[in-house]
Amino acid sequence: MKKYNLGSGLFWLLLSIVIFIESLHLGVGTVQNPGMGFMAFGASGLLGLLALVLLFRTIFGEKEAETAPLFSKTLWKRVLILLITLVVYARVMPVIGYLVSTFLLMAFLYWISEPKKVRWAFWSLVLSFLTTVTSYYVFSVLLNCQFPSGVFGL
Amino acid sequence: MEAFDNLLYGFQVVFQFDNLLFCAIGVLVGTLVGVLPGIGPVGAMALLLPATFKSTPVSSLIMLAGIYYGAQYGGSTTSILVNIPGEASTVITCLDGYQMARQGRAGPALSIAAWGSFIAGTFSVIGLMLVAVPLAQAALSFGPPEYFALVCMGLVILTYLAQKSILKALMMALVGLLLGNIGLDIITGLPRFTLGINELTDGVGISPMVMGLFGIAEVLENLEQSVPREILRTRLSHLYPSLKDWIESKWAIVRGTIIGFFLGILPGGGAILATFISYAVEKKVSKHPERFGKGAIQGVASPESANNAAAGGSLIPLLSLGIPPNVVMAMLFSALIIHGLQPGPMLIKSNPDLFWGLVASMYVGNILLLVLNLPLIGMWVQVLRIPYKVLFPLILLFCLIGAYSINSTTFDLYVMIFFGTAGYLMRKFGYEIAPLVLAYVLGPQLEQALRQSLLISKGSFMIFITRPISGVAIALAFLLLLSALLPCFKKPREEYEAFGE
Repeated sequence: MKKYNLGSGLFWLLLSIVIFIESLHLGVGTVQNPGMGFMAFGASGLLGLLALVLLFRTIFGEKEAETAPLFSKTLWKRVLILLITLVVYARVMPVIGYLVSTFLLMAFLYWISEPKKVRWAFWSLVLSFLTTVTSYYVFSVLLNCQFPSGVFGL
Repeated sequence: MEAFDNLLYGFQVVFQFDNLLFCAIGVLVGTLVGVLPGIGPVGAMALLLPATFKSTPVSSLIMLAGIYYGAQYGGSTTSILVNIPGEASTVITCLDGYQMARQGRAGPALSIAAWGSFIAGTFSVIGLMLVAVPLAQAALSFGPPEYFALVCMGLVILTYLAQKSILKALMMALVGLLLGNIGLDIITGLPRFTLGINELTDGVGISPMVMGLFGIAEVLENLEQSVPREILRTRLSHLYPSLKDWIESKWAIVRGTIIGFFLGILPGGGAILATFISYAVEKKVSKHPERFGKGAIQGVASPESANNAAAGGSLIPLLSLGIPPNVVMAMLFSALIIHGLQPGPMLIKSNPDLFWGLVASMYVGNILLLVLNLPLIGMWVQVLRIPYKVLFPLILLFCLIGAYSINSTTFDLYVMIFFGTAGYLMRKFGYEIAPLVLAYVLGPQLEQALRQSLLISKGSFMIFITRPISGVAIALAFLLLLSALLPCFKKPREEYEAFGE
């Protein structure tokens, strides 16, 4: 955990410095008349201080037992692919419409769990069709949510 | 007598068709998300929040509260039958519930959990009714310094009760406060920290943020492990506890109810902490502590009563002070704000239909849960059999639709994906999410109270010390933080963290 604490501690320290500077630009005001950046000034200052404590404790604290790496032997590639897929979906949905983009997304998400099974690929298509149509009916027709129809006009 | 009249009025509100329907939907969805892994009550509330925009505030609140206490019922089913808790507050039920199921006593375990939840839920509503109204009347005299101090104390207790590092929990609370700063300044009305993005002028949306942190992050975490779930194949006959079961459980239910109700009022993991403490108390007072962990029915009855009693207790600070004590209540707080209502001591006086309607709905909801759940246990077991490869795309789709439908803009989808990634990494690096969300929700209130207090006192911070209520709250918060550093408190703290792990 040590190197992860170091990494995250450094991240929070840098972030707090950026926000601290930005709060000064916004105007901290005076104690009698606090300005727009007053709260952020105090919170980022404290965050920076606590990040320093975390770093200090991690570097000079007691030695801890070796822990397993956080990302090895796990299916983290799946996680990365999923995140990219979600970003792509958010990007293309307004262009190709809710029905087409959701069908493609669902087909991919069902399929990705077991990509080598041909039969599952068929079921993925069936399930994604059912999911897309049902979700459209419930949210768009019954609950009046506004979904984009896209270039296909669907 | 006045309370009785008000309660009757509440029943008139809840028995309107719309409200009754929303109550039934709430408890059913709550049970469903309690049963299903991967989406909890917070995610479900965030998902259904946009769907409530067109309904009345009373109906919305009735449904959202129903999701919360419904999830406490549903969570126990997975704990007992799969040995995987549906909710964090049903973790302890696994110990004896699963053992009972293995011994062929799944029926009595499930039913005592449901009955215990029903009894505790009902008594906690009575407690809520009796405590919230006088507390709200007392809170009418509170000014900005009192609010600032109470919110500070709430956040400190929340971080103190964090199951991981207090330091990291405090850092997350500060990050939450900073996130709450994004958008228009509450006094000047000018934008700040918006990075030039127009959509951020109104601040970061609570629903996409919560769905990302709880829904998406949970799916991502589950996806990287392939843990097979094995559902115990047991006959679900004898769904009603025997007389012996009742005799063995009656005091466990009473003790669980009392512990749950009072701990539920505390900020932080009220319901979770209540289950652990009630279980420990039960084991301590039992004549046969050796039976615990091997299928003792008290080990199911007590924590299940405690988590439902805590659900009622946690409504007290929200409805009487306007301070949500946990993330679920933060969602209710947001729902009230979205509907143009200001949570706080005036809420009960200015919106009696909302308060008494909600109280009455909890009586009705608890009966509905009992009537629906016991006969439907077979159906919930079938739901448990849905494989995760089918479930996770559905959870993701619900989150995407929920985030998109708020403003019909893809910006909210990016916000949700961003917080999903952040939530996933936070779990990996040992940071708790609850302090962040609660501080984010309370941030604007805290800032307003701080700035107003300093304006009143002409810049003197002594205003927080010299006024009795704020002085006590600040002193308590300070002592709690100090105690975390003292060696005599270190050992219990380490044991608590190990227990949390």
